[in-house]
Amino acid sequence: MAERKGAYGTSTSDTSFRRTWDREEYAAKAEERERKSREEGKARHEAALAGKKFHRRASTPEDSRDTEARQARLNVADQVGKTSLVPAGAGQGKRGKGAGFYCDACDLTYKDNLQFVEHLNSKQHLINTGESGEVRRATLEEVKDRFEWLKRKREDEKAREVVDLSARIEVAREQEEREREERRRKRNEKRRKTKDGLGVQDARVEDDGVIR
Amino acid sequence: MAHQADARRALDERGYTGTLIHGDNPLKLFEKAVRDRIIDSYYWKEQCFGLNAATLLDRAVDLTFLGGTYGVAQKPTPFLCLAFKMLQLTPEREIVEFYLSQAGEEFKYLRALAAFYVRLAWEKDEEVYTTLEPLLNDSRKLKRRTREGWQLTYVDQFVDDLLGKSRVCATTLPKLNPRVFLEDEERLEPRVSGLGEELDELEDEDEEEKGEINGNGHVSSSEEGEDSEEVAEGG
Ligand SMILES: [Zn+2]
Repeated sequence: MAERKGAYGTSTSDTSFRRTWDREEYAAKAEERERKSREEGKARHEAALAGKKFHRRASTPEDSRDTEARQARLNVADQVGKTSLVPAGAGQGKRGKGAGFYCDACDLTYKDNLQFVEHLNSKQHLINTGESGEVRRATLEEVKDRFEWLKRKREDEKAREVVDLSARIEVAREQEEREREERRRKRNEKRRKTKDGLGVQDARVEDDGVIR
Repeated sequence: MAHQADARRALDERGYTGTLIHGDNPLKLFEKAVRDRIIDSYYWKEQCFGLNAATLLDRAVDLTFLGGTYGVAQKPTPFLCLAFKMLQLTPEREIVEFYLSQAGEEFKYLRALAAFYVRLAWEKDEEVYTTLEPLLNDSRKLKRRTREGWQLTYVDQFVDDLLGKSRVCATTLPKLNPRVFLEDEERLEPRVSGLGEELDELEDEDEEEKGEINGNGHVSSSEEGEDSEEVAEGG
């Protein structure tokens, strides 16, 4: 079985995503930390006013990344239709690599794609892959860039489709040409074999010009 | 402000600290049963996790139909899931306007999605009208998945539904004052059609024709037949 990939199309053990911080980023991070602690103070105060207990969010590691959307659909197609024997009570994920959907980062195997994706979204998995579980807001600029990229991508795909189509037509045409030539050759051969040169009438063995 | 990828937290009464719309958590604009179906759906878990207003475009450009819920299980459409995601994100006004205008010109389902969002989430009635009405000039076709099957609609038709109907895509729309009411209160100028008089004339002719057809009792059943064929073709 092919090694299972993480949700982001890369192997989850790959640590190359970890950023190398430069000063600027570090400063931004420090500011962010300060803001968070201010926010927390405020939330604590508000909770106290409302007579509720304040629950702090689980602290996130310093170098955690923002949580991002999946880059592509999870590749589940190669699992479809396969029967895998899974021990009873494996809903929570089975330790180690086994038949099914394997998470590299957590060393857990899930028996179906739903449980697998639920795991990928879980706090446990996000912590293990160094993600904060927080999604950064996009700016208008980022939205515009994304749009331009998608537009280009779509145009490229369309252009490729056109090329593909004309290439396919060309291949089919050549193939047909070859088959026609082959039929002509056989016909001529048979005609030569019969004495009167008219050939055998019911000797068609080809498949009616169907292109294979 | 960043948001938590896990929507359950956003729906948790105690934990919600995000933007309020119509005085409440915007996710509650969808009915509880619909919310539950969305959050339990595979599309939501796989495709909507971790989206922000930029990456949401990746999904929106892949939409091939709109609708609310469908089938016996009342499965939510990707369109509905993305609308729910927008309510979670509450993107800035300029971003929504960009979805509608430049990006919407390129990707029609994105335009429909943003229009649906505006109708749900924008609080000033006059802005809902002035923002959505220009889209009444967009006659591109849209496929709509209904509870039992498929329907053909158009961007302008969909926007018209948003402005006129009380329920669209499995969602009860917030109250919207009628246009004339806002005009009387001088919160809105009377609407000037984008094409001006020419279009008005055409509309007049249209109405005359319609009157004749209805008078004859020949309701346009043949047209409907064509429509469903086109939908099937678009597959
Ligand atoms: Zn994991």
